[in-house]
Amino acid sequence: METLLNPSKTPFLLVPKTHFFKPSLLHSSFNPRPHTPFTRRPLSVAIICKLKTSQGRKNDGKNNNISKKILLSDSAPELSNEEGKAKAESGGGAWRVIRKLPRKVLSVLSNLPLAIGEMFTIAALMALGTAIDQGEAPEYYFQKYPEDNPVLGFFTWRWVLTLGFDHMFSSPIFLGTLVLLGTSLMACTYTTQIPLVKVARRWSFLQSADSIRKQEFSDTLTRASVKDLGVILMGAGYEVFLKGPSLYAFKGLAGRFAPIGVHLAMLLIMGGATLSATGSFRGSVTVPQGLNFVMGDVLGPTGFLSTPTDAFNTEVHVNKFYMDYYDSGEVSQFHTDLSLFDMNGKELMRKTLSVNDPLRYGGITIYQTDWSFSALQILKDDEGPFNLAMAPLTVNGDKKLFGTFLPVADTDSPDVKGISMLARDLQSIVLYDKQGKFVGVRRPNSKLPIEIDGTKIVIVDAIGSSGLDLKTDPGVPTVYAGFGALMLTTCISFLSHSQIWALQDGTTVFVGGKTNRAKAEFPDEMNYLLDQVPEIVESPISKQPGSIGG
Amino acid sequence: MIFSTLEHILTHISFSVVSIVITIHFLNLFLLVDEVVGLYDSSEKGMIVTFFCITGLLVTRWVYSGHFPLSDLYESLIFLSWGFSLIHMVSYFKLKIKKRKNNLSAITAPSAIFTQGFATSGLLTKMHQSAILAPALQSQWLMMHVSMMVLGYAALLCGSLLSVALLVITFRKAIKIIGKNNNLLNQSFSFGEIQYMNERSNVLLNTYFLSSKNYYRYQLTQQLDRWSYRIISLGFIFLTIGILSGAVWANEAWGSYWNWDPKETWAFITWTVFAIYLHTRTNKNFEGVNSALVASMGFLIIWICYFGVNLLGIGLHSYGSFTLTSN
Repeated sequence: METLLNPSKTPFLLVPKTHFFKPSLLHSSFNPRPHTPFTRRPLSVAIICKLKTSQGRKNDGKNNNISKKILLSDSAPELSNEEGKAKAESGGGAWRVIRKLPRKVLSVLSNLPLAIGEMFTIAALMALGTAIDQGEAPEYYFQKYPEDNPVLGFFTWRWVLTLGFDHMFSSPIFLGTLVLLGTSLMACTYTTQIPLVKVARRWSFLQSADSIRKQEFSDTLTRASVKDLGVILMGAGYEVFLKGPSLYAFKGLAGRFAPIGVHLAMLLIMGGATLSATGSFRGSVTVPQGLNFVMGDVLGPTGFLSTPTDAFNTEVHVNKFYMDYYDSGEVSQFHTDLSLFDMNGKELMRKTLSVNDPLRYGGITIYQTDWSFSALQILKDDEGPFNLAMAPLTVNGDKKLFGTFLPVADTDSPDVKGISMLARDLQSIVLYDKQGKFVGVRRPNSKLPIEIDGTKIVIVDAIGSSGLDLKTDPGVPTVYAGFGALMLTTCISFLSHSQIWALQDGTTVFVGGKTNRAKAEFPDEMNYLLDQVPEIVESPISKQPGSIGG
Repeated sequence: MIFSTLEHILTHISFSVVSIVITIHFLNLFLLVDEVVGLYDSSEKGMIVTFFCITGLLVTRWVYSGHFPLSDLYESLIFLSWGFSLIHMVSYFKLKIKKRKNNLSAITAPSAIFTQGFATSGLLTKMHQSAILAPALQSQWLMMHVSMMVLGYAALLCGSLLSVALLVITFRKAIKIIGKNNNLLNQSFSFGEIQYMNERSNVLLNTYFLSSKNYYRYQLTQQLDRWSYRIISLGFIFLTIGILSGAVWANEAWGSYWNWDPKETWAFITWTVFAIYLHTRTNKNFEGVNSALVASMGFLIIWICYFGVNLLGIGLHSYGSFTLTSN
């Protein structure tokens, strides 16, 4: 264990060291390295996203400091050379200022705390948007956030209406913050993550045992060979490179690229959403069975990029609207049989819609979202059939209730009495007499008559109307592509990029390694692999790989 | 009939077993019976039994009702406790290979029992019967979206509880030790403590490592920190997939993939907060306490998203709503 420590660096560490190690460990898994961490701190910061440190100021928008990460030893002279070169490139004074401006803007935008602040702001605004009721008339806010009794002591309707909190998710504040986050994403991707790709793909060998021992995890194998180590590592899925006595292996490089993919996917989603918001058409219509409508009449634009297509001239005819029921009587599914006709009357398409199963034609999608009761067809005293329009009633607790009224007495008198018919769905109609007393229930299919106050009523049919939502959205393919990319890249970025360096010094092999994500599991994995490296036992006749050793 | 009794039995078995396991863990804590290996083993076996019970419960419900058991609040709570026991199993087997003790069970087991207990308690008896699905829920997407969301919640809750544990351990002694800041350089400490001392932002951790017994606390906090990071990353992936599949489902069912529905918005807020957590981890200065603070906020936000929005009962996600009056 003494070989692990470098006594020249920090003498006062020697004493507590042995005190901490448990005797059960075969070889040390926790290796406190005496080294000055200060040189490493700002470097690893600069990799992921730039921080405004004093080091960072020098390198606005430059990629050179990242190279320090892999080549741990001496790239400082490199740095100043590149900087000097860049400065010499730009021309006169004013031109230099203009040239520097985008770089400065980039460096400001790709600042990590700024991005974190933006994300916090967005989260807070969204939370506020759910707390404040959206889309109500101004009077509602006058009432709810009055000036003489402000919520939380200062929040009045003035705040709500001037800041646009009543339509939070399309207000300038919210959209502005989103745009800012988008530009930060782009800046960060350009300035730090793309250079990271170039750097991480470079493999470098560490030439000195000291630099290997400085790694997060390091170990020493006495009497081993780097080649054996290489073979073991290859078996464990690492890509191994051997150059003379030194070795470099890595695994999980995709885990470094994936965050770039995440950012790009987010930009794609944002772009697609912008396209949706500015270029789509939507509309909804409730069509009674048997009637029709033209798509273009129903669809309204949502933004300035919306342009109608030829498919807007299609006529939609509702052939039939019907519902499925469970045995308990609840609605299980509603269906609409639709036919699409062009302007000449030729049938283009026929499909039965249901919820979760929309109709797609010419870029326009029709969704089944709702239903209503249009009319009740009855026979009165064997005359008719009469269509009585059903109106929706709002009663506490009932989800949907429709009713109609058949007057039996003189319709001109102010106090008209008649038969009331109520229905919750298209299955059964409940009938009440002139006094409002319950008489009976009839199903439209049964054709059974019912006698109320001397009038014979037969329910012939219950005509429903279908609630349809129409939509055309050019941004959907982009957004779906962004979704798929985001899901994939988020999964991949779970992988941890592990790097291992080894150096053969005589019969000793120094091994060092680090990983960016799976820090808890890495030492154990390394110990497991190193356990498998065969120990070279010098016999008088020949070298033979021996048993498992440390 | 058989199914409902079977369900009943399984619920009660899992609930009782988990309570026994937790009792054993509390005994470990207070009476230090940890060395009695048999007891520890039995608690681990108890958790395995619980896992199989809850799995059996869910499968029974699935077969009996004909739809995937995730259509209302009761079923999603059972699924959540299943998620916790699943996380426990995975961490148990991973750590068993390395022959280490499973510290995670302190978090996963109580979480499983609390969610299970709440679900089976009297508050939600109305929902215990398998209900029929509303038309909007009859879709293949139900399985993917809701299961991913609930698994994501389970993992994120575990991870944020680990961060809370980290904060509790960190701040317990910090107040006492602040005064001894000046003596640090003269004391003896290990490498890890030097590393932490150089964290300029983490002032509180600077004051902390003074003696050898703090080394073990440091190791524990570091283990908690790393585990929390991994579990939250996993939960984040599930949450992302859940939110995006929900958006695609909404587009198929209602014509628009994002409606700023309260539940959707709060899920997005949760996603944003954990994205902030992951970004704070990229910077070594913010690692440790600061990221743990973010994760603790995330804990509260998940509960608002999962429960709070349902209590309001508004919007497109009203399937999960319930009133707290017990019947």
